[in-house]
Amino acid sequence: MTIADERFFAWLDGELPPEEAASVETEVARSPELTRAAQEHRAMQAQLKAAFDTIAEAPVPQGLPAANVINFAADQRRRGSRRWGSSMQWAAIAATLALGVLTGTMISPLRSGPVDVRDGKLYAAADLNDALDKELASAPAAGAPVSIGITFRDQSGAICRTFTNAQSSGLACRDGERWQLRGLFAAPEGQRSAYRMAGSADPNLAALVDSTMAGDPLDAAEERAAKAGKWR
Amino acid sequence: MDSPSSFEHQLGTLLPRLRRFAHALSRDAADADDLTQSTLERALRSKWQWQPGTRLDSWAYRIMRNLWIDTARSRSRKAKLEAPPEEASVVGTDPRGAMDAAIDLGRMMAAMQHLPDDQREVVALILIEGFGYREVCEMLDLPMGTVSSRLVRGRMRLLAMVGEQ
Repeated sequence: MTIADERFFAWLDGELPPEEAASVETEVARSPELTRAAQEHRAMQAQLKAAFDTIAEAPVPQGLPAANVINFAADQRRRGSRRWGSSMQWAAIAATLALGVLTGTMISPLRSGPVDVRDGKLYAAADLNDALDKELASAPAAGAPVSIGITFRDQSGAICRTFTNAQSSGLACRDGERWQLRGLFAAPEGQRSAYRMAGSADPNLAALVDSTMAGDPLDAAEERAAKAGKWR
Repeated sequence: MDSPSSFEHQLGTLLPRLRRFAHALSRDAADADDLTQSTLERALRSKWQWQPGTRLDSWAYRIMRNLWIDTARSRSRKAKLEAPPEEASVVGTDPRGAMDAAIDLGRMMAAMQHLPDDQREVVALILIEGFGYREVCEMLDLPMGTVSSRLVRGRMRLLAMVGEQ
């Protein structure tokens, strides 16, 4: 395919800036061949769209249990269907953690660093500890350096929370009065902003959460209640 | 939980569009509904990964596309090797006679199946779902040149198969 083709179709799809669109339009108007191509492709797209629109306009079939997403979520909770936690996945997570993706800035000799080391365990400190203690995912504080994702209980019943800041995301679970870090993942270098824009979490964190979580994430009311109960 | 702004509610309103996209990707209606179902399951389970303020539709489409790749790509690669798509072999001999909507959908699904996967997803997202080029680049993590050349090749091939003579 030539650049010219791509330019022609970008024009057809309304993707060109105004001046360039005007110039292609003139070219097309002068050429019977291009005019015909434009008509054919418009007709083809209309036909394609009309055909598939019948799906979007049709009622969702009864056979699709997700027809009512909310009921479906409830069904799933009842069935307790979790497909995660296979040994393969555990191995992958262990490998990830063993590699140690803690960034240098996270463990700092200064007391102000977000991570403390005690008895060989990593605990949240400073801003991170505050965020885990105080923030509600359902009522995020504007401009907070750390944002909280979900809150849930692990298999032992401990409260766990995911968090994200500009450089990393992780999982911390309650250990007595403190938040012990179960995983901390640095966003890939150079992908940080795109990453956040895409609205997706680190796949390693996702796998860790899936294998740690027992039941479902707490909803807003449960999260508030857990906070009131000091995350016990 | 079921307020109009809730995640579940918003996902529910996307359902017809997600089904349409699933039909454009899949071989038949049963596969499309399986894909829709697993996309919703995955989206509900991954709810916490979605950042409020970002577009839920792009996020959900992306989940569907990735699931489709996981389940269908190997199969369709194999199919491509066995039977290289030949223009106009799918659609019968009388495209003008097939304008009835139901027949047309079957025809269009068959035609879409004859596009290579990488062209099919771009054609579906732009020509059927109405996303802009840039949105599709972000959704598929592809550069603009790649998206636009796949779109050109895909739509030329489609026209050759289903276009009116």
